[in-house]
Amino acid sequence: MPAPESVRWGRKRVLPVCPNPLFLKWLTELRDDAKEKGLKIQFTYQKAINSLNKYPLPLRSAKEAKILQNFGDGICKILDDRLQRHSRENGTVLPGHGRQRAELLGEQTTKQRSVPEIRSGGCFCLFLFIFVCFLQVPGHKGFMFKMELQAEAQSLCDGSCSAPDLGRKHSIWSSVRTLIQKNLVVKTHNPARFSLTEEGRVLAERLAAAAEEEEEEEEEEVVDLTGSADEEEEPQVLTADDDDEGPPVSQTASGMSGERLLPGSFDVVLCVDFIETTGGARHRKQELVRELQRNGVAFDVRKLNVGDFLWVAREKIPPVPGALRVPAGRELVLDFIVERKRMDDLCGSIIDGRFREQKFRLKRCGLQRLIYLVEGGGASASHLSLPEATLQQAVVNTQVVDGFFVKRVQDVRESAAYLTIMTRYLSKLYQNRTLTRRSRELEGDAGADATGSPSCSLISFEEFNHGAVKNKCQTVREVFARQLMQISSLSGDKAAAILERYSTPHSLLAAYDRCSSEAEKEKLLAGIRCGKLQRNLGPALSRTVYQLYCSDGALS
Amino acid sequence: MSVLRRAKEWEISESEGSDVEPEPSPNRRSETQSGAPLSESSSCTTASPARRRRTKEEIEADRQRTKERKEAREMQRAARAQEKEERRREQQRRREAAKELKKLRPENCIRSLNISIDPALLQQEDSDLLLDTLALLEWRFTIESQQISHSITWTRDLPQGDEGQSSVEEDQVVLVLTLADFLDVVICVKEMLGSEGDETETGTGAVLSPLLECLNRDAKKVVTMLVTDFEADYSSRTEARSEGFPEQRLRSKLGMKNLDIEEVLVYLQLYKNISVVFLVSWQDVTDHVCAVTKALSKRPFKLLTEPSELPFCVDGSWAAGARVDRDGSGLGLVWSRQIQQLNRVSPAVASAVTESFPSPRALLQAYQKLESEAERKGMLTGLLVKTEGKERRIGAEISARVYRCFTAQNPQLVLD
Repeated sequence: MPAPESVRWGRKRVLPVCPNPLFLKWLTELRDDAKEKGLKIQFTYQKAINSLNKYPLPLRSAKEAKILQNFGDGICKILDDRLQRHSRENGTVLPGHGRQRAELLGEQTTKQRSVPEIRSGGCFCLFLFIFVCFLQVPGHKGFMFKMELQAEAQSLCDGSCSAPDLGRKHSIWSSVRTLIQKNLVVKTHNPARFSLTEEGRVLAERLAAAAEEEEEEEEEEVVDLTGSADEEEEPQVLTADDDDEGPPVSQTASGMSGERLLPGSFDVVLCVDFIETTGGARHRKQELVRELQRNGVAFDVRKLNVGDFLWVAREKIPPVPGALRVPAGRELVLDFIVERKRMDDLCGSIIDGRFREQKFRLKRCGLQRLIYLVEGGGASASHLSLPEATLQQAVVNTQVVDGFFVKRVQDVRESAAYLTIMTRYLSKLYQNRTLTRRSRELEGDAGADATGSPSCSLISFEEFNHGAVKNKCQTVREVFARQLMQISSLSGDKAAAILERYSTPHSLLAAYDRCSSEAEKEKLLAGIRCGKLQRNLGPALSRTVYQLYCSDGALS
Repeated sequence: MSVLRRAKEWEISESEGSDVEPEPSPNRRSETQSGAPLSESSSCTTASPARRRRTKEEIEADRQRTKERKEAREMQRAARAQEKEERRREQQRRREAAKELKKLRPENCIRSLNISIDPALLQQEDSDLLLDTLALLEWRFTIESQQISHSITWTRDLPQGDEGQSSVEEDQVVLVLTLADFLDVVICVKEMLGSEGDETETGTGAVLSPLLECLNRDAKKVVTMLVTDFEADYSSRTEARSEGFPEQRLRSKLGMKNLDIEEVLVYLQLYKNISVVFLVSWQDVTDHVCAVTKALSKRPFKLLTEPSELPFCVDGSWAAGARVDRDGSGLGLVWSRQIQQLNRVSPAVASAVTESFPSPRALLQAYQKLESEAERKGMLTGLLVKTEGKERRIGAEISARVYRCFTAQNPQLVLD
C-alpha cells in the first residue's frame, strides 16, 4: 500500500495528506499481520483502511472513528487500546485536537481563534464560509448547485487540500457528505441542490464572525473570500442569461457560465465509451478502436454515463515545461451523441426492456442531435430471438416516434468510417465558431433546433457526464411516484396526478388522518384528474390506495 | 275555507273598483300577519270590516307567501336543472375526449392516415407490390403528384371541431431512388463540397435540386432516401440477400470508395437531416413504407399520454404493478415492491421489512413509538436479511433511507 504522499505509476489519483497517520499505520499493521496468517479479517481491516483514507478530518479518538463506515466496535476497541498505549509511551496527543474543531463541534473553547488554523483544518470549515458568504448576498437563491459548489470550493481550498484536481475534488465531496451526516447541510432536488440547515447556518455565522475578528487583527493572510474569488476568475463574457441571474452568482461562481473557447483554441475530439472497447467479444470491439486509429482520428476512450460516442471541444493547452502531465484543458460537449446498436444488442435490449429506458435517458441528456447507429441487418438479424420485421419496426420507431437520426451501417468497419468522417466534418463545422459554456443547472436546456446550424452554447463535459449518471440520487417525490405505480393499472400519468396533490407519503397519510370517516378516506383520491385529458382517477383505484395505506392489519 | 274567502273578496273588490292591489304594502302585510286590524286601510270600506279585511289581508299575505315559495322553488329547480345540464355537458365533453383519445389509439389512428404516392414511382416494374400490400392492409392511399418527385408522404386527418385544418401533413418523407439517381445526388454533393465556402443552397442536379428547395421551405421534414438497384435481376438480388450485405454490392456498383460515399452520407445528415438506406428490392421498400406508416400511427397517442413530469422512464419491468382484488388481496406484494423502489434495495431486503411490518401503517406506528429521531432512523438496521444461507443485516444506510422516504415532508429531499 503506497504511502499517502507519493504518486504511483498507474494510480489514477494522488491521495491528499492523511490526517490520521497513526490509525492508518496501526490498521495497516493489523491487516498485514492477518494477511500473513491467512485470516479473513484482513479484508475487514482493508475496508476500514479504505474508509479512513476517504475521511479528510483528523480524528480525536477511536470512539470518534466509529462514525466511519466499516469501523465497528471491534476495530475501535483495538485502536483505542493502541492509542492509550501510545500516549502512555510517548505522551503525545492526537493531531486535530485543535480549537477550531472544538468550535465546529459546538464545544467550549477559549477566545483565541486563528484563521490560518481554520484554513488548514480542511475544506470542512471553508464550506461553511462559502455558504454564509453567498447567503449573505441579497437576492441569493439560497442554495448552490453541485457544480457551483465544486467550483467555489476548488478556488478557495488550500492547506490540506493541496493535492491536484481529482484528489481535491474527492476530499471536497467527502466533506460535504460529513456535513450532511452532521445535519448541517441538506441535499435536495434533482439535479442536486445544497443548502444549509438551521443548525448549519447558526454555526456558519459563528465561524464567519470569528473570521471577521481575525481579519481586523491580521493583515494579508486573511482569507478574503469574495476578493480572492474575483482574482482567480477567468476573464468572463457575461451572456444575456447571466445578466438575468443577477451579478452575485455569475461573478463569484468562478469558472462557470459565460466562459468562451475562441476559434482555433480547441480541438474536436471523439469520445468513445470504454465499454465499447472491452468486454464481450473483445476482439471485435477492439477492432473499432483499431479502425479509428488506422483512420487517424483524434479520439479518447473514457467512461460515458450515457451514449456510446460523442464529441468534445477540448481546449488546446501547451505542455508546461518540466511537468510530466499536460494539465487538463476545459472540455465542452458538442450537441451530438451516438448510441450504437448491433442487431443482437437491439434484440436483447428490446426483450429485457432496456431499449426504451436507454432512449429515455438519451432524450434527457441535454444534447439535441441524437443519433442511433444501427449495425448489421439482413442476414445478421435472421437468427435472433425476435423476427427481423420487429427489429426493423423498432428502428423505424426510433426515427419517427423518438426523433432520432437513424444511421444504418453494415459492420464495425463502416461504423468506424462513419465516426471518422463525422469527426472531420464536425471539426470543420466548428472551426470558426466561438463556443460559449452553458451550465445546465443554472440555465436549463437549450431549445431544439433540428436543421439549423448546431448550437454553440455548450455544456461542459463534466457537468454532462455527471448529470447522466444512471442510478442517480432519488428524491422522496420520485420514489413515491414509483411506489404508487406498483399497483397494477396505476399508470405514470395517474401517479403524476396524485403527486401533484400529495407529493410525499407523509402528505397523503396526513390527509387520510384528517378524514372524518372511513368512507371519506375511501373516496379521497377518486376525483383527482389525470393526464392530458383530465380523466378521474376513479373510486376503485382510490379505494385500493386507501386499503394500502390505511389498513392496520397485515396486507396479504 | 280560503276558497270561500277568496270568492267573497272578488265579489267585494269588483264592486269597489281600485280596491285590489297587486302587491300589498309591507306595512299592511306585516300588520295582517300579526293579526291586528288595520287602522288606515285605503281600499276596503265594506260593511263587516274586521273579519273581511283580515281575511283579505291574510289572503294577500298567503298569496304572497305562496308566490314567494313558488318562486324559490322555481329558482331551485332552475339551479338544479342547470347543474344537471352542466354535469351532462361535462360528461359529454369527457366522453368525447375519451372518444378522441380512442381514435388516436394506434389501431384506430391508422385509419386516419393517408399515404400519398408519387405516380413517377409506379413506372417501376415491381411497384405494384407496394400498392397491393397497402390494399391488402386496407390502409388508405392515393396516387398524386408530390412536391418532390419519386416520393411518398403521409397526411393525417384531425378530429372534427378543430378550427382550421382538417388534416395535417406528417413530417416523414420517403424518397425512392434508383442507383443512377443516387449517383446523381452524390455527384452534386461532391460538387457542392468541392466549391469551398459558399455552398449553393440548392445545388444542381435533377434530383437534389428540387429536394433541397423543398427542404429550404419546410425545414421540419425528415427525409429518408431508399436507394434500390432496380436494374439488378432477380437472381443477383436473392444472392445479395443471402450474402447478407446487399449494401456492399450497391456501394461497389457505384464505383466509389467507401469513405467517399460516407462523406456524402454524412453531409446529407449534418446539413439536411437526410438519412439514406440501401435496399435490395421493392419488397424492402414496401416493408419500409409500412413500418413508417405504423410508426406514424403510434406517435399521436404516445405523445399525448406520456407523462413528462416524472423524472424517470415509465416503461420497464419495475412499472408493471401487481394486481389487487376488491378486497385488497395482492397489496402485500405491492407493499413489498414499494420498498424495492428505493435504490439498491433487493427483494430479500424488502421481504425482511415486510415480514416485520406487514403494512405501511405498521411501519409508521412503529416509528411513532420510538422517541428520538436517531432511533427511528436506525429502526430497521438490525433486521436480518436471508440471502443464500448467509444472514446479513439491513444496515444503517437503508434503514435511514426508508425512514426518510416515509416520513419526510419535503418532496425534493434527496434520499441517497
